[in-house]
Amino acid sequence: MRRLLVGLAAGTVLVAASACGSSGNGASDQNSSSTGTTTVKVGVIPIVDVAPLYLGQKEGFFSKHGLKLSMTLAQGGAAIVPGVVSGQFQFGFSNMTSLMLAQSNDVPVKAIANGVASTGVSGKDFGALVVKKGSTLKSAKELEDKKVAVNTLKNINETAVRESVRKAGGDPDKVKFVELAFDQMPAALDKGQIDAAMAVEPALTTMLNQGAQQIAWPLVDVAPNLTVAMYFTSTAYEAKNPDVVKKFQEATAESLAYADAHPDEVRQIVATYTKVPASVLAKVILPKWPADPNRSSIEALEKLSETDSLFKKTPDLTTLLP
Amino acid sequence: MRGLNTALGAAGLAAFLALGEVVPRVGIVKEAYFPPTSRIASALWDELTDGAFWSALGDTLTGWALGLAIAVGAGIVAGVLLSVVPHLREATASTVEFLRPIPSVALIPLAVLLYGTELRSVLLLVVYASFWQILIQVLYGVQDVDPVAEETARSYGLGTWARVRHVLWPSALPYVMTGVRLAAAVALILTITAELVIGAPGLGATIAVAQSSQAVPEMYALIVVTGLLGLLINVGARTVERRALAWHQSVRGEVAV
Repeated sequence: MRRLLVGLAAGTVLVAASACGSSGNGASDQNSSSTGTTTVKVGVIPIVDVAPLYLGQKEGFFSKHGLKLSMTLAQGGAAIVPGVVSGQFQFGFSNMTSLMLAQSNDVPVKAIANGVASTGVSGKDFGALVVKKGSTLKSAKELEDKKVAVNTLKNINETAVRESVRKAGGDPDKVKFVELAFDQMPAALDKGQIDAAMAVEPALTTMLNQGAQQIAWPLVDVAPNLTVAMYFTSTAYEAKNPDVVKKFQEATAESLAYADAHPDEVRQIVATYTKVPASVLAKVILPKWPADPNRSSIEALEKLSETDSLFKKTPDLTTLLP
Repeated sequence: MRGLNTALGAAGLAAFLALGEVVPRVGIVKEAYFPPTSRIASALWDELTDGAFWSALGDTLTGWALGLAIAVGAGIVAGVLLSVVPHLREATASTVEFLRPIPSVALIPLAVLLYGTELRSVLLLVVYASFWQILIQVLYGVQDVDPVAEETARSYGLGTWARVRHVLWPSALPYVMTGVRLAAAVALILTITAELVIGAPGLGATIAVAQSSQAVPEMYALIVVTGLLGLLINVGARTVERRALAWHQSVRGEVAV
């Protein structure tokens, strides 16, 4: 019995000791501290796209507006929307199609600041349709009856690839779309399990390093300078904390502009929150970070999504966008 | 005997590591997806010198230890209570049999909805999975109590608490310890799973970041770390078990493992 007690005591010490880990950001940090700084939790994905927030935090754009960001890396956007709606995160990062889908399903989200945009340049975009080294496929039209991987079915990348096929003169309904995570695309393409992949950085650079060929730039085909993703909040949070939202918008706009002007610093900061190898990171094509969303490009994306019948009812862009 | 075992074990591991070095080098599998041992080892070394790695390890251990402690505490209390009060066990048996087979990972969507990426969502999964291991072992352990000893204690006028302490608990302890050992492993699996799938901070989330960053050797290095962690936890649980049961014949009569 005594020995058991010793064991239990040792266990308790272990618990206490390991509780000194890093995740000590409890409920308290949602409140304003005495210095007038508000800490907000932001749900982001560990990808290049969100670099401006990290950079803006480092450069002091957020603290200047009285904000401190507590970034939470969520595995994919699926955890971010419920997190924001339920109030675990005050802000989140999500692609435009997911936001429009959420709104058309009456999920109370409100896009508030620009996230990331396509470069709009064919051949130099951060997302591309690639085929295996030595593949005979030369254009998106030839993808009919072929297997094309997208990270999420019925979402922005599928819509974009369908548009590329359509623009090249093919029938997008004949393309066989399969769902595959970006990081699994290089291996799948290499082994011939798929014929083409809609890849974004850094998977794109990895594939190009292996000799893959780019055949189309679907994000460019959707609209010039397409707004791919935005930062959003819940309508409830926006109604209750308009000042915090305004500060976040201003600081984010400054951060986006800074990131757009300082690509080297972007590459440096990306290395702090992802594990992209330096050799890949140096070659990655950076997206664009304009301060404002491109409304006409979002409308174009909405029309295409409607053509592909993604929505049950048309999303209301006037209430969704800032 | 023990020395020979250790030597054989080391030789086996060395052969395995050498195989891991050679197979990708000669091109049986692609180096890009299955890096040789030496590259994994150097990635592992880079991790060990990185502060973020240690805080991730701390997060994982916190989730594991807290979850296990809660599950063990709740499992023992519930198990003893259910055994001591006969009607309670009958009343809960169907509920237990209904809840127990639900795989913890099926609760991931629920955990995300309730707690997002916080530690609590990890704990929900870990406690749920480990609790049943303990509870069932406690129930079996209590059933194993020698009826003669129990009757003797009764006839000597021992109260319920005294009987739980002096008769029921020592009989059940070997079962409880088995439950703790199983639960310790299950708790680690669920901690890593939760971090990997939900994105709660910890080693699992770091593996996911490495994966999405195309950092293949780092990903393998982190997986190796989780394997080592599992090994340490198993060794630790066996040690605790041997210490706690030093008086028990199953351990007393044991030659060195």
